[in-house]
Amino acid sequence: MNAYVCPYCRQPSDPSQQTCPLCGAPVDVREVVSDSGWIEQPPVRDMAKLQFGQSHCQIAGTTVPVAEFNLAHGEMVYFSHHVLLWADPATRLQSMSMRGGWKRMLAGLPMMMVEAHGPGHIALSDNHAGEVIALPLQHGHSMWVKEHRFLCATGNIRYDWNSNDVWYVTGDRDEQETHYPMGQYGDIFTATDRPGLLLLHAPGNAFIRDLRQGESLLVQPSSLIYHDLSVRVHLHLEYPRNRGFSFWRSNWDYRNIMVRLIGPGRVAVNSIFERPEGMEAIRNHSYATRRRW
Amino acid sequence: MLVLTAMFRAVEAIQCGWCRAQNQPGTTTCMTCGAPLDVRDKVSDSGWREAPRLRDMTEFRFSASTCQVEGELVPVAEIALSPQDGVYFEHHVLLWKDESVPLSSLPTAGGMKRSLGGMPHIVTVAQGPGRIAFSRDAPGELVVLPLHPGMELDVREHAFLLATHSIQYSFVRIKGLVNLLHGGNGMFMDRFVTAQYPGLLMLHGNGNVLERSLRPGEKILVEPGGFLYKDSTVTMQAVQLQLKTGMFGRHGMYLAEMTGPGRVGIQSMYVHHGSGE
Repeated sequence: MNAYVCPYCRQPSDPSQQTCPLCGAPVDVREVVSDSGWIEQPPVRDMAKLQFGQSHCQIAGTTVPVAEFNLAHGEMVYFSHHVLLWADPATRLQSMSMRGGWKRMLAGLPMMMVEAHGPGHIALSDNHAGEVIALPLQHGHSMWVKEHRFLCATGNIRYDWNSNDVWYVTGDRDEQETHYPMGQYGDIFTATDRPGLLLLHAPGNAFIRDLRQGESLLVQPSSLIYHDLSVRVHLHLEYPRNRGFSFWRSNWDYRNIMVRLIGPGRVAVNSIFERPEGMEAIRNHSYATRRRW
Repeated sequence: MLVLTAMFRAVEAIQCGWCRAQNQPGTTTCMTCGAPLDVRDKVSDSGWREAPRLRDMTEFRFSASTCQVEGELVPVAEIALSPQDGVYFEHHVLLWKDESVPLSSLPTAGGMKRSLGGMPHIVTVAQGPGRIAFSRDAPGELVVLPLHPGMELDVREHAFLLATHSIQYSFVRIKGLVNLLHGGNGMFMDRFVTAQYPGLLMLHGNGNVLERSLRPGEKILVEPGGFLYKDSTVTMQAVQLQLKTGMFGRHGMYLAEMTGPGRVGIQSMYVHHGSGE
């Protein structure tokens, strides 16, 4: 009986291997946990192999890792076309049908996904220094992923996308602008009839944390990589104390725009992020809590 | 007896897996290219080999000069030039230099064409003696390519860091309208040629760098933004894959079809030529 559960992918794994065969995380190193409870996601070891179905994926490189697939006959992966690095001429490439193309285009999401069908080899990489994160999903398990973090998924993982409902509006009546600090839409991936593999790319370093029921955290919206669907998310506006300039403290960019994550469930963040844009006063926003110091 | 001694020497010498140079027994880094000799080559199942990750402060020699590589995220190549040696480079990769190192310009043929193609009009030459250092402005790795006499290497524009003065520098225009418009590699490629003397060429690859040797006639499709270098014997041709995008019609996805024989080098971090992402 196998009692070892990989702490990074939460799947029963093989402790006799050097790396978890499902997510590539090293098995033979101790967890690195900060005092506040963030677990550092260890980089996938150079040349580590991940098994899925009859195919496998090999991770090459450490600065901007490449995910190289050896696809078996009848198996496929899909991805956004701009992450394709190279392909065997034998690998069959075709576009994946997607709904809501117009909305996706307006939201700045890739309009087209490409399917690569085995047998053949294909390699994918993002264009930021960072880490590849492998998430094996069990049958029926879903995961929310921030836009532009998705690298690829195996064919049996269903791809969907929903509005994040985290937004705020700045500007006056004539020139109002709506901001989406987490992106307008989030990607939802669900393993359908059997387990599947989801690969993400995180710029910088990645950290994970398991929130207990009701436990909450404030994080920069753009630093999110993924979270369980059980985690609730809403906007949080925080204004530092600013004696003598009360009008300023309530309106201007002295504020912090964050999101609150409420457990239970796992959340992951990366160390490279952008501060939410918009220096002007917030006129309207999605559900949010406020704190004025 | 002499034959036996030579055989023992050959057995004891360590051959560098990257540049094939022979090294003294017991050495841990190649004296010709700086590759670690005490770690195994990293080759993926499909035959892509990782360029050796040069250790911080690794030192190696070329001609009568030395090069030391500093840093691992955005590595710096620091050259100690002997009086008879010189290196040339694009002027914006110069990080620092001794005051005494003279700089001159190496005029390139086809200046107007180069300017129109977005390539530097003038290549700068640094002459020894003295120290000078170079780096590009992105996380990645240095690719050290010692060139033997009679070699020709084509390099993506703006990827070369420096070359020794024994290497001839020219450029080749990318032929064919489809290749120009959709190839994603600009109008020109740098071409480095060695005649009767060997030389050292250093490139900067963004992200990680991988190399593969193609057999005669063997083909591989590469994202044009990921192409870094190739032997001049490898041909490169833009090919279009037609992908349907529902109500938005068809989307032409262009890839570079590389055909052997020869080496192909790619980088894992690139700007996708079609989307700019």
